[in-house]
Amino acid sequence: MLSLGTIGFAAPWLLVALAALPVLWWLLRVTPPAPKRQRFPAIRLLFELARREETPSRTPWWLLLLRLVAAAILIVALAQPVLNPRELAPGSGPVLLVVDDGWPSGPDWTLRQRALDQIVDRAERAGRPVALLATAADERGQPPAVTPAMPAPEMRQRLAALRPKPWAPDREAARAALRAFQPAGTVSAYWLSDGIEHAREAADRHGDLADELQRLGSLVVLAAARDQPTRLMLAPRSEAGQIVARLAQTPSAIATEAAVLARTADGRTLARVELAFPPGATGAEGAIALPPELRNRLARLDLENNAGAGGVALLDERWRRRPVGLIAGAAESADQPLIGELFYLDRALSPFAELRRGTVTSLLQRELAVLILADLDALPEPDQQALQSWIARGGMLIRFAGPRTAARPDALLPVRLRAGDRQLGGALSWTQPAALAPFPEGTPFAGLPVPEEVRVERQVLAEPAPELSRRTWARLADGTPLVTAEARGQGFVVLFHITANTDWSNLPLSGLFVEMLQRLLQLSQGVAAAGGDAVLPPYETLDGFGRLGAPPPTASGIAAREIEAAAASPRHPPGFYGEEANRRALNLGPGLPALRQTAALPAGTVLAPIGATGVAEADLKPPLLAIALALLLLDLLIALGLRGLLRPGARGMEGARVAPAILLGVLLSAMLAPGPRAAWAQAAAPAQVQSAALEMRLAYVVTGAGQVDDVSRMGLLGLAAFVNQRTAANLGPPAAVRLGQDELAVFPLLYWPVTAEQPALDANAQRAVNEFMRNGGIILFDTREGGAGGGGTFGEGEANLRRLTRGLSIPALTPVPGDHVLARAFYLLDQFPGRWTGGQLWVQRDQDRANDSVSAVVIGGHDWASAWAVDAQGRNPYAVVPGGARQRLLSYRFGLNLVIYALTGNYKGDQVHVPAILERLGQ
Amino acid sequence: MSQAPAQSATETRARRAEELAARFPPLMVAAERVAATVVQGVHGRRRVGQGDSFWQFRPFLPGDSLSHVSWRASAKSDRLYIRENEWEAAQSVFLWCDGSASMRWRSTNALPEKFERAELLLLALAALLLRGGERVALLGAGQRPMGGRGMLDRIAMALAKQSGAGLPAEAPLPRHARVVLIGDFLGPLDDIQRTVARLAQRTADGHMLQVLDPAEETLPYAGRVRFEGLEQEGTTLLARVEGVRAEYEQRLAAHREGLAGIAAAAGWRFATHRTTETPQAALLNLYTALAARL
Repeated sequence: MLSLGTIGFAAPWLLVALAALPVLWWLLRVTPPAPKRQRFPAIRLLFELARREETPSRTPWWLLLLRLVAAAILIVALAQPVLNPRELAPGSGPVLLVVDDGWPSGPDWTLRQRALDQIVDRAERAGRPVALLATAADERGQPPAVTPAMPAPEMRQRLAALRPKPWAPDREAARAALRAFQPAGTVSAYWLSDGIEHAREAADRHGDLADELQRLGSLVVLAAARDQPTRLMLAPRSEAGQIVARLAQTPSAIATEAAVLARTADGRTLARVELAFPPGATGAEGAIALPPELRNRLARLDLENNAGAGGVALLDERWRRRPVGLIAGAAESADQPLIGELFYLDRALSPFAELRRGTVTSLLQRELAVLILADLDALPEPDQQALQSWIARGGMLIRFAGPRTAARPDALLPVRLRAGDRQLGGALSWTQPAALAPFPEGTPFAGLPVPEEVRVERQVLAEPAPELSRRTWARLADGTPLVTAEARGQGFVVLFHITANTDWSNLPLSGLFVEMLQRLLQLSQGVAAAGGDAVLPPYETLDGFGRLGAPPPTASGIAAREIEAAAASPRHPPGFYGEEANRRALNLGPGLPALRQTAALPAGTVLAPIGATGVAEADLKPPLLAIALALLLLDLLIALGLRGLLRPGARGMEGARVAPAILLGVLLSAMLAPGPRAAWAQAAAPAQVQSAALEMRLAYVVTGAGQVDDVSRMGLLGLAAFVNQRTAANLGPPAAVRLGQDELAVFPLLYWPVTAEQPALDANAQRAVNEFMRNGGIILFDTREGGAGGGGTFGEGEANLRRLTRGLSIPALTPVPGDHVLARAFYLLDQFPGRWTGGQLWVQRDQDRANDSVSAVVIGGHDWASAWAVDAQGRNPYAVVPGGARQRLLSYRFGLNLVIYALTGNYKGDQVHVPAILERLGQ
Repeated sequence: MSQAPAQSATETRARRAEELAARFPPLMVAAERVAATVVQGVHGRRRVGQGDSFWQFRPFLPGDSLSHVSWRASAKSDRLYIRENEWEAAQSVFLWCDGSASMRWRSTNALPEKFERAELLLLALAALLLRGGERVALLGAGQRPMGGRGMLDRIAMALAKQSGAGLPAEAPLPRHARVVLIGDFLGPLDDIQRTVARLAQRTADGHMLQVLDPAEETLPYAGRVRFEGLEQEGTTLLARVEGVRAEYEQRLAAHREGLAGIAAAAGWRFATHRTTETPQAALLNLYTALAARL
């Protein structure tokens, strides 16, 4: 590269062409401008005039100058000048770009991309190929790998497609990839580091990778400036009446500030809290206090001005909804207005919480924050145990006393009660109904004003005990406890010593009652983590910039009990899992190790900041080319003007019209000039995929049990023959697919016989099947055990089915409704028999707009393949049970309906409107 | 079967004739309209004589032929009346219009081509003359001068077929015929003089009307211009057109003087017409000049 002051030329030999400028000047000077042409009848009169005045015409000097300047600029531009050029790090082989594209790089991704572009520019000028190593696993879950060294233009396209990932880089895997990298010559490595040590233990993976890179050649590490700490949003804490946002950051030498925005699902900001980090601090907290109604709408906490997955905490039901269960002793009269036991509770709580009724068992089956028992008889032992364990996990049990409680106290009470109750006032008593004492400090009710008019007439009394005063949250004026509570495990048991209606006091009539219940509600932990094996499919996931979007095809469901501790990964990107009505957040922060800055780099490494201060290098070629083009266009206009073609009117109109068209054409061609196209060979599709893509074929899953696979093949063969015979669909012979190995995208329908022999799916197969279902494929699961299961269960095959579908995003299921498209797609069916009959067929319950409400799975146990099967002689080798040609015909019809359903989706759903249309037509 | 080709040939000819005639009605209508505006100021011979149109009734005198008595007029009174017609002495007028390539030119789209204007003037004049009872023919088309409305159509047909010659060709002319030449007369003066002299030998009277585009009079171009002729005269390059404009106008004036001289020598009249002017003015001049000599 030739350097002249601050300008360097990448192709300096082109400047030699400047020497040709005088020749150009001479040529332009002797050539007069082209004359305008004009047809003229009276030309004879002009002949002699022309002969006399033939002075040579010259190009005007200013036009000459314009053209010379344009030519000079063109030559200089082609010599590829660069302002403030910088050299590459020393090396002879390819330039290696190592990019940390994990979550910390999201916020300043544009800066990083610009830095990468500049390095690629330099490599292009030096004529060196570029290789790329992104240290985070990509969206498909592939571990980091070094790309082949490729020319700079191709690399630019690669880099443009590179996006930050919402999970952490894997430096160990990157190092392994580097070991496999065999460059030609020594490498100039540039590492855009995010400055975070992602290893969980105290290892120095960052330094290891730097060592490895140095082994290959020279290394320049580009990292964000130290005064810009990396911040990570941890899981917020839910406290009474507020949500506490928690931020972690790498220590900074100066005090910094951050702001957290509390947002709703539609993006509105409801609150903003500022967090201050003193110098050296590694974390800060800020409370966001919101009224319960608003708080229930929060969907996420965002770090302000931080567009990255690390700055987002998604909030799900655990932070929001407070489902409250209500159980009354006298269930039949509990809801009677004004006297029912649950009437006042219902009125007090319904604005703030979701109320549920039911038995202890049914209520605890779903997630529940608070359970209120209004004067209940002693609970049976199993219920008591269930409640005990629920409280230990964080549930809050609120009980109201009453005649039944007074008669038979049980273990689920915070204090021991005296038998019987105490009456204050009344005909045979000297005492007056008691008022309330002010609430003691340190209790949840502290600070609530006590209305004068509240009076308590009866109550149950606690046995005096040492811990009684500690457990008392509210007292009467005479010091007897009104509300007692005991913390058990992570939860509470709270007892109101009065009834929940106005029998014993007028407290339920006052506003204080509502406020007390609200305080208790806020105290509750929220929804205790619902465990279980249920797989929650990804609903919406975050990308590397912290935006929620449709989950990538490779995202797979996660078991509900694992979501708490799961770390974000390509298989489980952070986001919401589950269904719309019931979704769980998988946040990035909790699964990450504590934020740790990287250790010092090995000696000999150059450290440079990203977004370098000082003069940036600038490529002067595009602006110079633009100037030259503009000058040449100006010259074109002048030339047209000199020939009189721009003069409006007269005969010049054509010229005036042509000139703008020329300009437009030149500009358009400049804009649309195709960039270099990447030409990387694609692997040829395997033969099976090709044949399946050329001819529609059904497919069955190879289970490994030879007999079952044979039946599947024969069954689909028979079904295809039946379909070909009766419809316009033209199916080829069935294909056998091995999950995880064969491409599924070319098949519309997959028949999957469930066997005990088939091993559970590996991650690869799970991803393939999930992708297949997400993209509109339909799977028919056949447990092949007939109607044995009957109402709702699949009997023995259920276990196998569960085992095989673990990790698949199976949607919520429902028995096939009578008006389902499956029952009408071709034939009108009211049962779906196969070899067996009488069982239930299950399809997706919820409408899924993305797939036109077409159920991705159909589950049943009728062993359809056996009924469809046709052997080489064209006979049906398997008898149907109970039997009859009619059953076999119906089973074929079901198969045909299923094929049509797979091919046309909900098209036949429109038949619902046929009666209305006919009526409108007047027929 | 053998009739089929003959029939189709006839049809082809008929269709071509129709195509040819299709462009006439507008032109004829335009010509008639121009002629109608002119005819109001012009009258016939104003003499009694042989003719078709009524002139006057006069009392019967002894010696008059009974066949001239107008019985209808006589029946209104006791006396006999003779119906006298206007004297009409039909003249033969030969019309010619320059159809060469130089006539098919206009400087801007707003103006008609010179040939269009010349054609219009010729047909309008023919219509006028035919209405006046004269016999008209197209010079060089081999026609015999005839009267009647049908002649206008035949002239129009002949015009469309006319070859593009810059000057009228040699043709036998009856004595005392009149000749009207319409064209741009931009060719060499010698050729024009020879043709006019030849025609003047046999004819009683003649008129020359020079139709020019305004651009040919003013040379409104500027800058460096390469001029091309329309009739293979060659090209010429002028470096600064605006510099020679005055000289061009002088040369054009000299050319016109030469034309006027040629006309005067033959006892003819010479007039100029610009395509920007209305055709009526030129037609009126032409017609009055013709009528005065009849």
